[in-house]
Amino acid sequence: MNDTDKVMLATDFCGMAFQSPIVLLSGCVGFGEEYTRVKGFSNRDVGAVCLKGTTLESRLGNKPHRIYETPMGMLNAIGLQNPGGEYVVNDILPKLDFEETRFIANLAGSTIEDYVALARIFNDSPIDAMEINISCPNVKQGGMAFGNNPEMSARVVAACRAVTDKPIITKLSPNQTDIAENAYRCIEAGTDGFAVINTLMGMAIDIENRSPIIGNNQGGLSGPAIKPIALLKVHQVYQVCREHAIPIIGQGGISTAEDAIEFLIAGASAIGIGTALFYDPLVSSKINAGIIDYLKRNDMTNVAELTGSLRLNG
Amino acid sequence: MSKAHRETIFVEQADIIEHIAYEGGQYVMRVNAPEIAQHAKAGQFAHISCDPMLAMRRPISIMRVSHQHGWVDFLYKAIGRGTKLLATRKAGEQISIMGPIGNPFKIDPDRPRALLIGGGVGMPPMVFLAETLKASSGNKPLAILGSEVPFPFTRRPSTIMVPGMPDGVIAGMPLLEDWNIPCRLASLQGYAGCFEGYVTDLARHWLKALSEEQRNEVIIYSCGPHPMLEAVAKLASEYNLPCQVSLEEFMACAVGGCAGCVVEVKTEHGPVMKRVCVDGPVFNAEQVF
Ligand SMILES: Cc1cc2nc3c(=O)[nH]c(=O)nc-3n(C[C@H](O)[C@H](O)[C@H](O)COP(=O)(O)O)c2cc1C
Ligand code: FES
Repeated sequence: MNDTDKVMLATDFCGMAFQSPIVLLSGCVGFGEEYTRVKGFSNRDVGAVCLKGTTLESRLGNKPHRIYETPMGMLNAIGLQNPGGEYVVNDILPKLDFEETRFIANLAGSTIEDYVALARIFNDSPIDAMEINISCPNVKQGGMAFGNNPEMSARVVAACRAVTDKPIITKLSPNQTDIAENAYRCIEAGTDGFAVINTLMGMAIDIENRSPIIGNNQGGLSGPAIKPIALLKVHQVYQVCREHAIPIIGQGGISTAEDAIEFLIAGASAIGIGTALFYDPLVSSKINAGIIDYLKRNDMTNVAELTGSLRLNG
Repeated sequence: MSKAHRETIFVEQADIIEHIAYEGGQYVMRVNAPEIAQHAKAGQFAHISCDPMLAMRRPISIMRVSHQHGWVDFLYKAIGRGTKLLATRKAGEQISIMGPIGNPFKIDPDRPRALLIGGGVGMPPMVFLAETLKASSGNKPLAILGSEVPFPFTRRPSTIMVPGMPDGVIAGMPLLEDWNIPCRLASLQGYAGCFEGYVTDLARHWLKALSEEQRNEVIIYSCGPHPMLEAVAKLASEYNLPCQVSLEEFMACAVGGCAGCVVEVKTEHGPVMKRVCVDGPVFNAEQVF
């Protein structure tokens, strides 16, 4: 990539300098180093890496099976397996190379106090931003009880806002009636950005033994299967965000540059890649190249020009 | 900062050189993947894109590699959507392969009598391990392979004596025999020359025929269906033998990123969830059974 190409992809997200609009999504890239096993993969190809959902105490996670492929997608119910906030800050963050990209923590809890305690822990760390996960469908108290209720979502955001000046990105659940209303309340409560969307709830059944295949019975659906739903949710949330200049990380089934560009047009400022990495660990550099190509073809100089450039049919 | 894990897995666009169908929905596929061939060790696997219409790859054990020619062999059974689609791919087509992945079997020089127990599509890692062991002298391995569908090779009477084998149990795998590694086969299907029973029962015959001193040189390596591995683990603990098993689980990333492939492992600090892809697929049997 030459320097003009780099300038085309560079974008600001909540005050963070992203070298690409791509964000690697929480739960898909462990704690930031796992994919570097793959030759040709580099954290430098992306604007940010979201670390695995982290709770105050360590969690073993759910029983197997935790994942299962479904048509053009997959179900997962990991159950927030993680070593706990203190461990992440003391033992994992020091091993990350902050020269390579921005790192974002993903906070999950079962009480407002959990979220606040985690926000305090990460506030005293080199982490670049915090994503508030109020949309994990896979543990009973995984935050979705908050995420599906605009009032509760706003309370979590406000409580975290009170203890940190680092950027707060609220990760919204698609499993709720009015995502725009929820977004509006979270903006009032002080969120700096949004991640739209987390997984949708789903199930798969083994017909021989008539049991759900996923150990947790149900799981979160991700991958290309959810893309149209995610795109519409980004469009809806953008209607609220636009006037407040609150940026969105659009996500859900993106696997090509064309998918990414659709999300940008719908209103996203950055785009997330999760499930697509599982199929192609080198997908980020391809998406970067595809975006640059599109910008050139359309006489644009920077990816930010695409955000919200949707022309609705009259 | 240690970055030793970096750049250990290669993504290769591999030409399918040969794709042979055997009875029982079994396939042997040879692909040209020089980086994987160069770096793979027995017990490791590759993550294969079976078809562009699938959102996920499939983990498949590596059976053989050629450093010199750059090919990699896989043996798999077409059972699910992914492997059934893979079976339709023809020689000359290209597929994307990621590998090698995972921790290989650990070879213990103090235990030259390696007992390799493979069942069904658990045979490939045993073949790879046999080929590895053949390279160093002083090893006295024995392979016991089991299958309930016809073996994916032409059985051949063994020319190498193995103590303790019941009368008539003489069939072996030609490839292993050619490497001068004794091999015996087990099946409940009554195939000629095969032991009629479980691999573990045949293994017990052999262990019983060894002297105490010889038994102290035995180490068990195994891969196969879960109930078989459980029986192997039990046999190992009965005779107080070290035992490494290779496990399978559904996988998404296969690089340690998603924690989707875990198995519960016993440790001194209580149970922990380990990722089969990068913490395994080889585990000490007593930790997982
Ligand atoms: C295996 C797996 C684990 C996930 N874990 C988390 C998590 O810990 N926290 C979170 O906020 N989202 C988690 N997600 C959701 C993703 O971050 C992302 O929002 C979702 O998968 C949609 O994007 P995709 O279709 O590109 O995967 C997980 C997704 C997958 C597939
Ligand atoms: S398959 Fe993702 S951690 Fe093993």
